[in-house]
Amino acid sequence: MMPLSQVYIGDQYRDTGWFGVFMTLLVAAFVLLNIRRARGGKDLYIRRIAGLNAIDEAIGRATEMGKPVLMVPGLSDTINAIAVQAVNIFAYVSRIAARFANPILLCCYNAAVYTYAQETIRDVYQSEGVADRYDPDSVRFVSDRQFAFAAGVSGLILREQTAATFFLGEFYAESLIFAETANSIGAIQVASSTETTQTPFFIAACDYVLIGDEFYAASAYLTRQPVLVGSLVGQDWSKLMIILMIILGTLFNTVQIQGKTTWERTKGVWSQIPERSVKQSDTFMSQLFKPQLEKVKVERPIDPNYVPEKGAGE
Amino acid sequence: MKGNLGEKLQSLPKPILYLILILATSIPLFFPTEVPNEPVESTKDFYATLMALPEGSKVLLMSDWTGSTRGESKGAFRSIFKILIRRKAKVAIYSAADPQAPRVAQDAINELNMERKRKNLPTFDRWNDWVNIGYFPNAEAAINGIANDLKGAFGGRKDFPPNSPPRDVFQSPVLQGVTKVEDFPLMLVITASKTSNFAVERVSGRTPLAFAVTGVMVPETQVFYQSKQIVGYCGGLKGVYDLEQLMESGVNFPDKATAKIKSDKLGTIEGFPDPDNKGQGTRYYPTLHYALALMIIMIILGNVGMFLAKRGDKS
Amino acid sequence: MIPLLQAQAPATSFWSEAFNSSELWTKLIITLVVGLVVMVGLLYAPIRARKPIIAFFTFISGAYWVLLYLWPKPIDRQPGEMPLNTVETVSFWLADSNNVVVSFTQILTGFLLGLGIFSLLKIHLTKITKGHKDAFFSIVLLVSMGLMIWFGYADWFDRLGERGAMLDNRDNWGFTQYGRDFLFEGLLQQMDAAMFSVIAFYILSAAYRAFRVRSVEATILLSAALLVLLSLMGAVSFVWDENVKSIANGNPFILNFQLTEVAQWIRNTFQTSSIRGIQFGVGLGALAMGLRLWLSLEKPGSGS
Repeated sequence: MMPLSQVYIGDQYRDTGWFGVFMTLLVAAFVLLNIRRARGGKDLYIRRIAGLNAIDEAIGRATEMGKPVLMVPGLSDTINAIAVQAVNIFAYVSRIAARFANPILLCCYNAAVYTYAQETIRDVYQSEGVADRYDPDSVRFVSDRQFAFAAGVSGLILREQTAATFFLGEFYAESLIFAETANSIGAIQVASSTETTQTPFFIAACDYVLIGDEFYAASAYLTRQPVLVGSLVGQDWSKLMIILMIILGTLFNTVQIQGKTTWERTKGVWSQIPERSVKQSDTFMSQLFKPQLEKVKVERPIDPNYVPEKGAGE
Repeated sequence: MKGNLGEKLQSLPKPILYLILILATSIPLFFPTEVPNEPVESTKDFYATLMALPEGSKVLLMSDWTGSTRGESKGAFRSIFKILIRRKAKVAIYSAADPQAPRVAQDAINELNMERKRKNLPTFDRWNDWVNIGYFPNAEAAINGIANDLKGAFGGRKDFPPNSPPRDVFQSPVLQGVTKVEDFPLMLVITASKTSNFAVERVSGRTPLAFAVTGVMVPETQVFYQSKQIVGYCGGLKGVYDLEQLMESGVNFPDKATAKIKSDKLGTIEGFPDPDNKGQGTRYYPTLHYALALMIIMIILGNVGMFLAKRGDKS
Repeated sequence: MIPLLQAQAPATSFWSEAFNSSELWTKLIITLVVGLVVMVGLLYAPIRARKPIIAFFTFISGAYWVLLYLWPKPIDRQPGEMPLNTVETVSFWLADSNNVVVSFTQILTGFLLGLGIFSLLKIHLTKITKGHKDAFFSIVLLVSMGLMIWFGYADWFDRLGERGAMLDNRDNWGFTQYGRDFLFEGLLQQMDAAMFSVIAFYILSAAYRAFRVRSVEATILLSAALLVLLSLMGAVSFVWDENVKSIANGNPFILNFQLTEVAQWIRNTFQTSSIRGIQFGVGLGALAMGLRLWLSLEKPGSGS
């Protein structure tokens, strides 16, 4: 039975489990620290991203042609950070479109995202002082079935002959259906999927593609708000930390694996053994990432009201 | 110089491309052929994991495929069940990606049972051998809930015992003695969606994971396989064909010298020769060849066209 | 689809009471009253106060997940056990409430789906009443939606009772089941599959258009793609590998040139590492975004 003192540790912190939690907190600390630095007036540098420069170009072209701009915030099955970020970028697109009185279409897969997008886009038009130009039907819920949504949006692209299309967010198999349909009518396309499986399809069929976390960098790049820029720099610090860990891990493993050891860790307990060559499982990095959790028993009092469930056939 | 061969090769009309693809993919379906093949390491590991299950094991299966990916996923689902039935496993099925998925899984098992009935083989019965726990919306949170508190997540879900009204799934023989995800010696994920990522994030380290994914998901699944976060996977149509061949021949079976499929890493793993092993993988795999060959030819034609056009411009 | 069969927490937890018990009704009434008070309060809250109210609720909702992640989880908890100390009391409560909190989001999604359907109805009914040129498609959409809802729920209700298990057998089917089968299996599933298969055509045309040897990078990409494509063709890789094996005659260096080995090398060395790199970035981006939203550092639509 486990001593009572250890029960406080918590399952997620036992053995090497603490490491993941520690790293998460460290990343959060980097982000918050840099947001604080940026808010304090520190001038933080972020590089240019080609795909984002193309946003203004795409809207400009749609305005010239007098055709709508189509936006799809991905197929998130709930309102999550990805969908919120996509709608944030679309708020920027809609602001420019509102200024030039260019029609927009924002197609939603998820009802929660639809509600959020509608509120956000309406606010954009109001803040631009052109609330009368906002058409509530321009933000619409299409379907929450993947291929029904794909068919619906493709139909809209063809019927409305959209001049510019923005596909930003979580995309799956439908990505190529959208991109090729828009390509077939010559629409300028800016796309990004947080799903690595779909990025190649977008690269093949779209004009500009934001790869990976460029999607998250977009609003910082477009608005230069201190909170967003600081957060981006915090992410870069975290990436540097990961790179450093990879380099250190490689060095550690390479050096360690060539040596000999007289210690072995089994089920989380170190014990002395006759000298032998170091195995992969003995290395520091392996020990750090592979918890050897042992099953422990903790005896607790049973709730007097607890009724055990009946088994099969009872 | 518009209209020269180079330009023409670069801009073949789409309807013609599509027509050739239809012909290239549909004609081979009428002429079944068996293609020589060497199963990949990940599918061998997948098969080895299933065959290593002690008889009567309880397996948790997240079935997240629907009609759209049945070309790949249904073949994998059927092959996996053929192996699980052979291992006399008991399977708890749930879905987190699509509300249609539980129904599709149920229909696929019913189809298998009808085939087994026709051959006078014992059926794989609902409630006693498998339970359908149903669909869980909000995949990430639901999988987190299942990983942290399986009893709570599945609590209140009902399924049908034979000829009786629905009862709590925990009363079925499948979930007897199961209180947490660690009580399953294996969790299988048959998916066409990113629920496999959620499974790695939430369940990895608690119980071994093995995946059957669609072809497009192979690259991202390889990441988890390489880092040993999953024990094996069956990827795309090639994976299904591999699995069917493994069922037929085993690995290093009957011995390494005479075995059709060999592996230095794995020991002897039994095969169970049966004409029934040849399923969707064997039927569709030649078609994939023609489709890929067509794509390679088209890419080459496009590039030849580009070179010819460039040469024409220079001259 | 509105989730009707929701997960329930175990009978012994704070979150779940016995069916029709006085405790259940008391909790229901308290929740309803609190809910109404909060709703009225929000309706009459001054516009300036809305931002802090939203920030407060966002923080509370997020704090639950943060706490669930960080608070010491109980070790080896078995059903029916009582907590040993205050830390465990909190952790038991958090663990028990997990599935209930998940249900909150599902209920919310259910209500929001109503808004989505309202949007659909509004757009398409307007088209029909105004005699828009595409009104026919709107009629098809609304009729299909109505039929699917009706048959789906009718079949679902039928399956709730004792007949549920019998309905797995086609011989026991009635009009509702045949109707559902026609709409679900006969139409929806087939149309899903058809739309999915359209991708094959688009992949071909996109590959034909995009895969051009325009630069050194494009040439490397194209060569790698061709090798991986060929390796997926079992017949080709089998013949290639057999030839290499016969040429190699056991030479381990030459054996590296088997197609399966080359393709595996490309996957394991370049593909997985680049995917990992991208995934790290995406993960960090999501974490930072989540943090900004949780602490209300970012206002909605801040991209503008």
